[in-house]
Amino acid sequence: MRPRLLVSGLAALGAAGALLLHGAPVAGQAKAAAPAAKSGGVLNVAQREDTPQGFAIHESSTVSTTWPAMPCFNNLVLFDPLKQRESVETVIGELAEKWSWQDNYRNLVFFLRKNVKWHDGQPFTSKDVKFTFDMLREAPDAAGKLRINPRKDWYVNVQNVEAPDPYTVIFHLKRPQPALLLMMASGYTPIYAAHVPPAQYRTACVGTGPYKVKEWRKGEFIEYVKNPDYFVKGRPYLDGIKYIVIKERGTRVAALQAGQVDVAFPGDTSKTTAEQLKKAVPQMVFTRAAENVNENLIMNTKKPPFDNPKVRIAVSHAIDRRGLNQAVHQGGSTIGISMPSPPWGVWGVPEKDLSALVGYGKLADEKAKAKKLMAEAGYTPDKPVKVEIVTRAIAVYVDMASFIVNDLKQIGIEASLKQIETAQWHAMATRGEYQIGANLTGIGIDDPDANFYENFACGSPRNYTFYCNEQIGAMIDRQSAEIDPKKRLAMVWEIERKLEEEASRPTLIWRVDNFAHWPSVKNLIPHNNFYNYGRMQEVWLDK
Amino acid sequence: MKTYIAQRLGIAVLTLVGMSIVIFVLLRLAPGDIVDVLFSAAGYVNPVEKKAILQELGMDKPVWQQYLDWMGQILRGDLGKSYRYDLPAWQIIRPLIPVTVELAILSTIVAVVLGVPTGVISAVRQDGALDYALRVFSLAGLSMPSFWLGMVIILTLVSWLAWIPPLTYVRPTENFWLHTVQFMLPALAVGYRSSALIMRITRSAMLEVLREDYIRTAWAKGQNERVVVWRHALKNAVLPVVTVIGIEFAFLIGGLVVTETVFNLPGVARFLVEAILWRDYPVVQNLVMFIAIIVILSNLAVDLLYGVLDPRVRYAG
Repeated sequence: MRPRLLVSGLAALGAAGALLLHGAPVAGQAKAAAPAAKSGGVLNVAQREDTPQGFAIHESSTVSTTWPAMPCFNNLVLFDPLKQRESVETVIGELAEKWSWQDNYRNLVFFLRKNVKWHDGQPFTSKDVKFTFDMLREAPDAAGKLRINPRKDWYVNVQNVEAPDPYTVIFHLKRPQPALLLMMASGYTPIYAAHVPPAQYRTACVGTGPYKVKEWRKGEFIEYVKNPDYFVKGRPYLDGIKYIVIKERGTRVAALQAGQVDVAFPGDTSKTTAEQLKKAVPQMVFTRAAENVNENLIMNTKKPPFDNPKVRIAVSHAIDRRGLNQAVHQGGSTIGISMPSPPWGVWGVPEKDLSALVGYGKLADEKAKAKKLMAEAGYTPDKPVKVEIVTRAIAVYVDMASFIVNDLKQIGIEASLKQIETAQWHAMATRGEYQIGANLTGIGIDDPDANFYENFACGSPRNYTFYCNEQIGAMIDRQSAEIDPKKRLAMVWEIERKLEEEASRPTLIWRVDNFAHWPSVKNLIPHNNFYNYGRMQEVWLDK
Repeated sequence: MKTYIAQRLGIAVLTLVGMSIVIFVLLRLAPGDIVDVLFSAAGYVNPVEKKAILQELGMDKPVWQQYLDWMGQILRGDLGKSYRYDLPAWQIIRPLIPVTVELAILSTIVAVVLGVPTGVISAVRQDGALDYALRVFSLAGLSMPSFWLGMVIILTLVSWLAWIPPLTYVRPTENFWLHTVQFMLPALAVGYRSSALIMRITRSAMLEVLREDYIRTAWAKGQNERVVVWRHALKNAVLPVVTVIGIEFAFLIGGLVVTETVFNLPGVARFLVEAILWRDYPVVQNLVMFIAIIVILSNLAVDLLYGVLDPRVRYAG
């Protein structure tokens, strides 16, 4: 952690130990976005489907919601929209003017802006912050309740949220957890209004954000207009934004090429599509950016043959990650284990060190190891085991699963592919009604806490494999509480390696987008995580 | 005639009741429900939260009671609430209907304007070069799925003109010219396929009629070709053609899914598929009922048209 401002003498806050007070430069103020920034114009943005839960970001876990809903809201803090890389150093203030860790990272204090109004004219205060986080952590006395609360686990370490005055909020933690600040900087963590029922966000939006919702025509578009009372002077630049729902991917690409939309949907531009578009429109701007979404293999540890660790490890040896990247992604993605490797992520084991891990060595060696383990488990290509591999009935899933089927066959696993409709997929996975599956997992922030607790911790509802290792669970807790980033990184690498050794949920590749927009769109910088850069406050049009 | 129409409408009501039961049961037989889909966006399913939502939506009641609730709502003119959007289903469905009806009408017009004359010409010039050319044209129409043709149209336009039709619905009152352009291209893509079918039916009906004695008599009396073909022969060959046009129109109301998707038109069919995937029962049930009503009415219209086109047709009372 590199504080921007070190302030001493704030003992009145009751801090024990070092007190780090962080200034909160709003992106555009901290460093002028661009000297020639122009105001005006309406940005047309592609949207792959209608927002699944309206503007209720807290009830959703998809970029289809965060991307079109983020302009309505603000967080306490946000990842700097002008920086592609997200880390603790790129966290800036939004509704929080300043914040400080106290009592050796047990208390997190936010000092809020005083000139902020909700879109309906009500003043924003600490009551709204307390309301939001009490609702998220499902505090017994919470005033609001979500019908679905996908990120409750992010806040299990929050003991209490205190609002001592209208412009101060204190988060009391059970133990130190530096990652909490990053979770608050995610696009998934907007502040809701305490005076608006949470259910209302499914159909309408009362935020404090740079844009107000003008119209949501279901299945067609969401239209925003500039918020004239926005608390950041001179922002936003745009007069409005229109998210146009275009279900057919080919039509979305054509719409971008024809200039009917200025910006592609995040994660929509594969390497092949980017090459085609570049040929057709040489001036189109493409930026390679990680999505923070990985393709992984879920093996049900409760069902044979995957209840046998040898079979799981053999499968991890058998999958040719580099081949998958070439065959399915035309080399456009990147390999990596449970956390994305640099430069795409902060916490992943460096790519040069991957070759020592299960599944990342020389192809022939890996296959030989896989066959040996399968033989030890009693299976050979002559005496294969038959399994059913499930995947969602969506092209990206099916492509991956088909590749896996072929690799499994080479080590004596005859897998038949079963496609599952979206309505059944997570219910099936949560209940463990499968043997092996090809899956995609998106992670809200590039931080081990969000990933490890959601996907690898014992008892997590998203731990579809039911993998449970209490020793690793304790290691996850220890890294979470570690406040020295270097020490924490070493601990995280150790956990990652152990997760790979045990083939807990083998990551196959990390997806990389070729985010596309017309050159007239300025200051729209894709982050290495497509859930977090949709605010549009700094974006302007050079038309 | 009035009695006939009343009888047909009575049967239509029974058909709709049967239809409502079928769609109601089929929807509930499909695995998964709206709550599973909602949780899908969250990446997990929590049985306790699921139960609470099912209760909130009234989906915990016995199926027969849910059916009776729906029927009661329809009789009161209330279509229920969309599970997905938490809004009255009618508010969701209402804007979709004019889009699909207009596209279906325009596609049918394109199909008739292309299909009937080519069918007649093809029959009159049987086994000639023009006949072969027109048959190839029609076979191509039958072989090319309209969504594929639609995508080809879009890609051709974007490649050659760097332009595609508007992707958000333009109301005729907003900009009539843009509205027309927006609808003409999908109407051409869909209408071409339908025209192929109409052309083949017209051709075979015309070939049959052209061999009739009264046509030979007309030729013998020295009538000119235009009168024989277009006035005498076509009028007598048109009944099966009208039947096909009626069926095609009814099919188009619910069958434009991919065309509406490719051209990004917010119509009934596209929304219906979306609603099915979401298990948004109130929207699906009412949209299917709407399609069923259109099918029944278009069949009735075709039957009534028989009497206008052929004076020999009498309606039993």
